[in-house]
Amino acid sequence: MTLVRDKHIAFDGIGKRFADGTQALDGVTFNVRRGAFCVLLGPSGSGKSTLLRAVNGLTSPSQGEVRIDGQPITAQSLPSVRRRVSMIHQHFGLVDRASVAENMIGGALAAIPTWRALSGLYPLPFKRKACDLLATVGLEPDHLRRPAGALSGGQRQRVGIARALMLDPEIIIADEPVASLDPKVSRDTLNLLRQAAQARGVTVLCSLHQVDLALEFADQIVALRQGRIVHDGPPAALSGSAVARFYDASLQPMESRA
Amino acid sequence: MTSAVSSSVPRAQKTWTYPPLIRPQTLLIALALLGFLLATGRDVEMGRMVRMTGEAIWATAGGKVDSQVARGLGRIGPSLFPLQMSERQEISRIEGFDRSHLPWLSHLEVVETPIQVLNPDTLRMESRPERVEYLVKPLGYLGHVAVKLWETLEIALWGTVLAILLSAPLAFFSAANLTPSRIAYVAARGTVSFLRAIPELVSALFLVLAYGFGPIAGVLALALHAAGFLGKFYAEDIENADPKPQEALVAIGANRLKVLRFAILPQVLPQYIAYTLYVLDRNFRMATVIGLVGAGGIGQELKGRFDMYNYHHVGTILAGIFLAVFVIDQFAARLRRRFL
Ligand SMILES: Nc1ncnc2c1ncn2[C@@H]1O[C@H](COP(=O)(O)OP(=O)(O)OP(=O)(O)O)[C@@H](O)[C@H]1O
Ligand SMILES: [Mg+2]
Repeated sequence: MTLVRDKHIAFDGIGKRFADGTQALDGVTFNVRRGAFCVLLGPSGSGKSTLLRAVNGLTSPSQGEVRIDGQPITAQSLPSVRRRVSMIHQHFGLVDRASVAENMIGGALAAIPTWRALSGLYPLPFKRKACDLLATVGLEPDHLRRPAGALSGGQRQRVGIARALMLDPEIIIADEPVASLDPKVSRDTLNLLRQAAQARGVTVLCSLHQVDLALEFADQIVALRQGRIVHDGPPAALSGSAVARFYDASLQPMESRA
Repeated sequence: MTSAVSSSVPRAQKTWTYPPLIRPQTLLIALALLGFLLATGRDVEMGRMVRMTGEAIWATAGGKVDSQVARGLGRIGPSLFPLQMSERQEISRIEGFDRSHLPWLSHLEVVETPIQVLNPDTLRMESRPERVEYLVKPLGYLGHVAVKLWETLEIALWGTVLAILLSAPLAFFSAANLTPSRIAYVAARGTVSFLRAIPELVSALFLVLAYGFGPIAGVLALALHAAGFLGKFYAEDIENADPKPQEALVAIGANRLKVLRFAILPQVLPQYIAYTLYVLDRNFRMATVIGLVGAGGIGQELKGRFDMYNYHHVGTILAGIFLAVFVIDQFAARLRRRFL
């Protein structure tokens, strides 16, 4: 039993080859403990997004399998998996023109009957929960009616986090949730995500580009390079030379080479 | 100035040349297009059009040239004026006419016309005045036109309402990213093209046969064509909507209808309002045309007056249509500003 509890998410030999021949992932194997905050590091194109999207079936691996609590993700189990796994997006994944309130309900759609979703007669508990969660992430009541596009980036990602909590997920996957935020707001946002997850025992799998933030927030750091794992361990085990190794100079973007 | 620009940066290598304004391929395509336009322009007599229009402008400006166009327009134009405002009705033909309670703003008018009658005593034709009393409403015809315009607007409005209802499912099935099956997609696309391909005037002709004269045929004719138009444009906007929010909802298990309602509709709604307002505007203008074949509204009145050579009445109707189109346009612009 402890064995299963220990491996909340298990990646087992994940490989992904896209139709155009790109080998995005190759033999990726690691486990994430229940309640852990696991950060994925790696240069652009190393396969972080592809790996995250395998957890909720947005991409299906060409080799290996992802297991949640020992249950492999299959076409049959996918609907129940998607109910238990929430996602936070780099570009927030919000509808800018829709109100914050509507965006929040969007996070509970899997549990709302279609006719209620279409008619706007949302169940009261979800409306309550949307308000409670927005208050928890530090937004104001008058944000509810505002279009999501009218919020600042930091506020939008708070909505993104609150929305991800609407259905009490077991797992949150976050693909570069702070990529478009300034350093201070990035730190605040990750703080919020970490605290919200810890309070609820949610396992987080989060990709980042900032090594310092990874070292600060992660319980576990997994580093990818060209689709393969080059590091898996606690932040303390990560030396500066190891970081330099998986951000190989030849793969660095133009600006930082000058 | 230029020397400052060129001297501030070292010269780049030869491989760096700024793209020219026109490339040879572009020039070739432009020439081919020009040739095509010239050939087709000859077929539709564009040369004669330019000559005749030039003559008309020259003649109007006082030049000594005989212009067929200027003559024609010169005859029709003035015959529309003065616009017909009043309405006159013989009181002997008004049922239950009450002399002591005349309708608002109206008065009675007596017209005496000499008529020839046979005098039974002399057996001769004699001229005798005949008194005919008329009820004159000074703005009566204007009121009549206003009522007909309102009826036309109602036809246009319902043509639009039915078009929206009809096009919504068509758009759902003919959007490649929502349609549940290839067959539904092809069927919906086919229906949309078919509806758009039949002009309102043509379907109105058939619908008048089926439903008889009056607004039903008009409403249906407008609705069918507009449903084809809206179905196509609604579907294209659904396909072009930002996929990120959609994926975000799919990722947490939302079905197609929920994705449509929560991730697509909010994005496309302003554009939909713009299309729908355009359709309302177009439907009003088309409603005046399909009235010509008996599908109700101001067009039916226009045709009647035109056939009876009542050109002053025609003038009033045309002025009324112009005014109504202008008002609808202003109203639509205001709504559009609110939502876009
Ligand atoms: N749909 C796709 N079709 C083909 N190739 C893809 C597709 N999605 C991703 N790839 C390729 O797979 C590789 C990994 O992409 P992925 O997006 O997972 O990288 P990433 O680590 O998330 O990068 P970034 O940090 O820039 O987001 C890249 O080479 C990318 O070009
Ligand atoms: Mg990525």
